[in-house]
Amino acid sequence: MKSALKDIEDITERDEGALDLLKKRLLWAAGLVILFLVIIILRLWFLQISNGEEYEKRAYGNRVRIRQLNPPRGHILDRNNREMVTNRPSFNVALIQEDSEDLGNVLKRIAPVLDMDVAELWEKIRQASDTPRYLPVLLKEDIDWQTLAYLENHNHEFSGIRTEVQPVRVYHYEDLAANIIGYLGSISKQELETADKAIYRGGDIIGKKGLEKLREADLRGEKGHSYSEVDAKGFEQQLLKTVEPLPGRQIRLTLDVDLQQIAESYMTAGEKSGAVVAMEVKTGRLLVAVSAPTIHINDFVGGISTEKWQALLDNPKHPLINKVVQASYPPGSTYKMVTALAGLAKGVIDNDTVFYCPGHYTFGNRRYRCWKHSGHGPVNLLKAIGESCDVYFYQVGQKVGVDGLAEYAEKLGLGKKTGIEMEYEKSGLAPTKKWKEKYRNAKWQDGETLSVAIGQGFNLVTPLQMCSMTATLANGGKLYRPQLVEQVIDSEGRIIEAFSPELVSEITGLDQYFNSIKRGMEEVIQGKRGTARSVAIEGLRIAGKTGTAQVVKVAQYRGLKEEDIPYKYRDHGWFTCYAPAEDPEIAVTVLVEHGLHGGSGAGPIAKAVLNQYFSGRLKQVVVE
Amino acid sequence: MFRIDRRLFEHFDMVLLLLIFLVCIMAFFNLYSASFPNSGFGMPPYIRQAYFFLIGFAAFVFVVSFDYQELHSWNYPFYGLIILLLIIALVAGDSAGGAQRWINLGFFKLQPSEPAKLMLVVTLASYYSRKEINDGYAIKDLVIPVALTGIPFMLILLEPDLGTALMLGIIFVSMTVFVKLKMSTYGIMGGLAFAAGLLAWEKLLKPYQKQRIQTFLDPDQDPMGHGYQILQSKIAVGSGGKFGKGYLEGTQGHLHFLPERHTDFAFSVWGEEWGFAGSVIFIGTYFLLLFWGLNVAMYAKDRFGVLLAYGVVMLIFWQAVINLFMIMGFLPVVGIPLPLVSYGGSSLLTTMLGLGLLMNVRMRRFQAAMPRD
Repeated sequence: MKSALKDIEDITERDEGALDLLKKRLLWAAGLVILFLVIIILRLWFLQISNGEEYEKRAYGNRVRIRQLNPPRGHILDRNNREMVTNRPSFNVALIQEDSEDLGNVLKRIAPVLDMDVAELWEKIRQASDTPRYLPVLLKEDIDWQTLAYLENHNHEFSGIRTEVQPVRVYHYEDLAANIIGYLGSISKQELETADKAIYRGGDIIGKKGLEKLREADLRGEKGHSYSEVDAKGFEQQLLKTVEPLPGRQIRLTLDVDLQQIAESYMTAGEKSGAVVAMEVKTGRLLVAVSAPTIHINDFVGGISTEKWQALLDNPKHPLINKVVQASYPPGSTYKMVTALAGLAKGVIDNDTVFYCPGHYTFGNRRYRCWKHSGHGPVNLLKAIGESCDVYFYQVGQKVGVDGLAEYAEKLGLGKKTGIEMEYEKSGLAPTKKWKEKYRNAKWQDGETLSVAIGQGFNLVTPLQMCSMTATLANGGKLYRPQLVEQVIDSEGRIIEAFSPELVSEITGLDQYFNSIKRGMEEVIQGKRGTARSVAIEGLRIAGKTGTAQVVKVAQYRGLKEEDIPYKYRDHGWFTCYAPAEDPEIAVTVLVEHGLHGGSGAGPIAKAVLNQYFSGRLKQVVVE
Repeated sequence: MFRIDRRLFEHFDMVLLLLIFLVCIMAFFNLYSASFPNSGFGMPPYIRQAYFFLIGFAAFVFVVSFDYQELHSWNYPFYGLIILLLIIALVAGDSAGGAQRWINLGFFKLQPSEPAKLMLVVTLASYYSRKEINDGYAIKDLVIPVALTGIPFMLILLEPDLGTALMLGIIFVSMTVFVKLKMSTYGIMGGLAFAAGLLAWEKLLKPYQKQRIQTFLDPDQDPMGHGYQILQSKIAVGSGGKFGKGYLEGTQGHLHFLPERHTDFAFSVWGEEWGFAGSVIFIGTYFLLLFWGLNVAMYAKDRFGVLLAYGVVMLIFWQAVINLFMIMGFLPVVGIPLPLVSYGGSSLLTTMLGLGLLMNVRMRRFQAAMPRD
């Protein structure tokens, strides 16, 4: 056996030569194979080790679609837990471009389902050209149940198309307190730039006005996300995990729906423009905050049309302005309480000081008229407030001086913002000599003090300030910050924030003066010649004051009946009051723009609010 | 004809067989994952491939049973048969994706361009061993080999299947350069190849073929087309990282991001699920098989045996390199399978036949050369 093998080996050795040369070239082939093996291993190293993490991310991005789950926005309740604003689910149709195959055909097929034109759909996609391809482009909002059911059942026919749930607001009392609650809208580019990117992204719905904006952080909740695995065609294979959205916090307002409704219905019925504010005297809780005319909140759902927006801007009654705080007016005679308090506190008058009113008062070389041209005769403080005698207050004001008036105006909360949770609050104005020099670049004229004393000069007051002042008078000098939010409750029922009265300042040691003024204010309603006798409610002691704020002094309209004066030149009517006089609970202020005299234009509305507020407690409800 | 020698069994190469089995087992598991979850229609690819492997192994045994020297006489009849099949495929074959490549045999669609590759290896090995010129072939000596290559090349190009046609060219070049040419022949052949390439680009390539090459040169031009496929393949392999995502856990494959994942892109699935470690093991085993094949050539007893073993190794080697380069983003999508790994009966059968030849040469290395007549 061995020898046989040996023989063969010898034979092959002899045969070598040419075959050997050929076999030598096999080494080159082996070299080639090694070279490519090394290249392949290096390439694998590059792909899997050097760039492995990067490719892993790309593989993840390939297969995982993160879907935003919008949280239901916090509900808004009234003080008695009545739901004012809640949500309902709405279903939107969106397109994920990245997942879409054969987009042209998909759009052609889905257009009739959505009852839209193909061109319209393309336009939406074109408009969203900034949107990254993996984010949804909204094609149609709030589709009906049938469309939803069809799309869900035929989802494999529409690659890249999906339906999303978006909670939308439901307004249970329609436009009630619309200017206070505000509305929602899509986040704008500017808002997005400054917003926290971790919270907001394009297409989000956020609070645009009112409490919806101011309390955005409480109301919005936290978004949830679902992570689902998709195949190469974008169809979902399985849900990987879901982080449920956290519903927004509920906000319970201090407002009372019943009172608010009564006040709004009166304003609407009379097509009145103005504001109604009611406040708890001892806490600062706002019970009513009406701005009329109101915006129609449903116009804003899904974005307001240009025409409607323009109509709102052009409306002479300015529905976009929240007149509770965003408009200020001369206080008229309601300012006389300030003048009286300043006079008493400065010692220039007491309860028994009497001035004679012949119907006018001459100061310098000018004659200042009393509203009652025939004159009030001898007038003490009680009668001066009750019958609103201008001549009396001209003299008090003159003796106190404008700076003294301003000092007490400010103590009663005028001339500065109340700090209520409303946007663009005006501070109003309690004029001083310095103010005039600084802002009007002119010296104070003493005659101007007389106008200020009866509320007709430079003074400006917001309806909220007036109400706050009334409450401060009623409670004997405690100025509470008006507040709108009773409680903030999170989705698990925990109370995040609870109302507590916030005392801004307190006037002390002037109780007897307050009492004198308050007796005068009772005369306004209950006195024989009171200027607001029509507001009286049997069984309820009300204290109040009317006011008429001159809009312009135009000679041609002097002596005309108010009804004959063009609307925009008519005086504003104020009425402010509190009740019950013996133990005040509620202060109500009504301002009717161009609303004639306060007693006739504004009084009935305040009376209706009081009637409602005390309805359970009054033995007889006096109906007008 | 059958010279069954006791030494045949003594020289049966267990290492070669083991390496073939190792690669086939890994390929089978990979194919199971690549076709998982099963669509539920028809026989799952991995089962079909298992049958093909059994048939292939039978063919392997058959090829081992006769002396490879017999091929000298069988060569031309088989060559003729393959050319006939290529013509049938072209005239009456089934088409898919714009190419006519398959002959429908009912139970099996034969792709004659696959055995044509092996046929060319055998034909050229036979020709160059019979016409031995040790100081380099001149251009006139290459007329017959060029013609032998050119006929199937043109038929396959007409299908059209550019990748496989080029594969024939690569086999021709590999074998011809190996037997040594005159320096002048290199120059002339190089010039002719260049001219043919230019002509092909202008006249012969179909638009989709040009598109593939252009896409490769500038992938951004066509992100959802072929560039997309290559990108998805790179993502699949790259995302495997060090140790992979685990068997059956690859997301790129199972969520259909990978195109052709059980055929041409099968190795992407392996790379994704087994990572760098698994890929190195697989490629290592695969290349060990190739080295073993070169070893077979090295110890072959005659010129025909050397050329035959070398040719089979080159056939597998170039297909593997082109396929892996495509998967790893070095080449455009060319439609060359990874032998033994990619799903496909024709390719597997052809490869098993080739490996059978390798074993044949191995087992007969000590036998005296058959007397030529």
